[in-house]
Amino acid sequence: MHTLSLADIDVDGALRETAGRLPTRSEFLVGGGLAAAAALLVPGVAGARAKRSDDAILNFALALEYLQAAFYTEAERVGALSGPLAEQAKVVGAHERAHVAAFREVLGRAAIKRPQFDFHGVTDKPDSFRATAVAFEDLAVGAYKEQLPKISSPQYLAAAVSIHSVEARHASWIRRLAGIVPAPTAFDEPTSDGQTIHIVNSTQFVTLHAPETTAHRPPAFTG
Amino acid sequence: MIRAAGRRIGWLLALAAVVVAVGIGLLMAPSDRSVSHSSGSPVPATDASARMLPPPVTGFAVPEARELGGQADVTRWAPVLRSTQARQRPSFTSPAVVSVGRVTPEGTTNLVDAEGEVTRGGTTWVHARLAVLPDGRTGWLPRNALGGWSFVSTRAVIDRAHLQLTLYRNGMVIFRAPVGIGQPGTPTPTGQFYIRDRLTAYASPVYGPLAFGTSARSPYETDWPAGGFIGIHGTDQPNLIPGRISHGCIRLRNAAITRLGQLMPVGTPVTIQ
Repeated sequence: MHTLSLADIDVDGALRETAGRLPTRSEFLVGGGLAAAAALLVPGVAGARAKRSDDAILNFALALEYLQAAFYTEAERVGALSGPLAEQAKVVGAHERAHVAAFREVLGRAAIKRPQFDFHGVTDKPDSFRATAVAFEDLAVGAYKEQLPKISSPQYLAAAVSIHSVEARHASWIRRLAGIVPAPTAFDEPTSDGQTIHIVNSTQFVTLHAPETTAHRPPAFTG
Repeated sequence: MIRAAGRRIGWLLALAAVVVAVGIGLLMAPSDRSVSHSSGSPVPATDASARMLPPPVTGFAVPEARELGGQADVTRWAPVLRSTQARQRPSFTSPAVVSVGRVTPEGTTNLVDAEGEVTRGGTTWVHARLAVLPDGRTGWLPRNALGGWSFVSTRAVIDRAHLQLTLYRNGMVIFRAPVGIGQPGTPTPTGQFYIRDRLTAYASPVYGPLAFGTSARSPYETDWPAGGFIGIHGTDQPNLIPGRISHGCIRLRNAAITRLGQLMPVGTPVTIQ
């Protein structure tokens, strides 16, 4: 079975560039002091660097939000869910689409493009939908937890925190519907950038090739 | 025994200390918190809250969460990832209707519009419209032969009596144009079809600037190159539109087909009546 690499997912290179710009926790801690010192001397340079770093983090979050929004939208469109699960997909899908809109708005032209997705039929059945939704929400909570402390801008941090707590509510909701303890531990661990990318890759939900539905050859229709 | 009694006394002393501490706390509480006078109006707190930082201003707002709308008018389609047999019923032992390939005669990715699906014996089957003769046939394809779903909220209706194409989105008319259809000897087939692909930037003025491929086939033009599929396309003879002029294809004036190209995505269901 072919395993996707980041290059496969990220056809226009934006996500790879994004991940490359993400500071590690230690780099962030060390860099924070340096950035503060630099800001006193050359505030414009330090500010621009912080902006680029924050954009990278927001783009990373946007990639996850694209994935979740597409998943819930497809589940609702396919219509295989009913009862509490259908309600969860409807409400959470609306939230995830709002998150996408928010990140795209704030990133402007720096926002990565929406990839093509193929969920391999997991939205067609309630059991596979539920299991995938649990995995997605847990992943989002862990990934946000890793990224939030690295955000330089207090304004961006405040907004991102407001999304993170909603993702945690989503995780609790779907865990409850799956019969899993909603909050199994007193402290959550963050999910590193590498782990997040590995998990997304392993699903193979991001398609390598979009359907080619347009061609430039002369028609051979009956005329 | 003596040790156990000592432990109990120790617990009692500890509990008593907690009770005393809580009691003192309650007595002291009004002195540094907002309190209500007999009139009920609150008195501002002391400088405790004033020392707190103001809440941060958020850098961006999450817009209002909106639910999907127009579910009734949504059609889903999927690309064919591997060649497979469409079967009469959702079973590998059911007779094959036709082989469904990955590529259309135009060289684009083949796709099918889904009518529904069922799971039998662990295999999910998709009920799909087929681009075969006789027109209107359907069959069951294994779900794992298809790719991810895409969705459209448009549908096109071609009215042969009134020589008109109407495009709807979420049930609302968004486009209407006169058309040329098949001559009496080669009529445009009727039934339920879908848009399979879109051809542009070719050098063939007869078809105008843009052509849509549909799943409809002419039963009168089966020896036509590529099998006689019906297209929706432009023309180099706009003066003949509207009219019964073609070999089965639906012709629009070039300005109209260009506009339709901006509005009608592949996968759009097409009714010819």
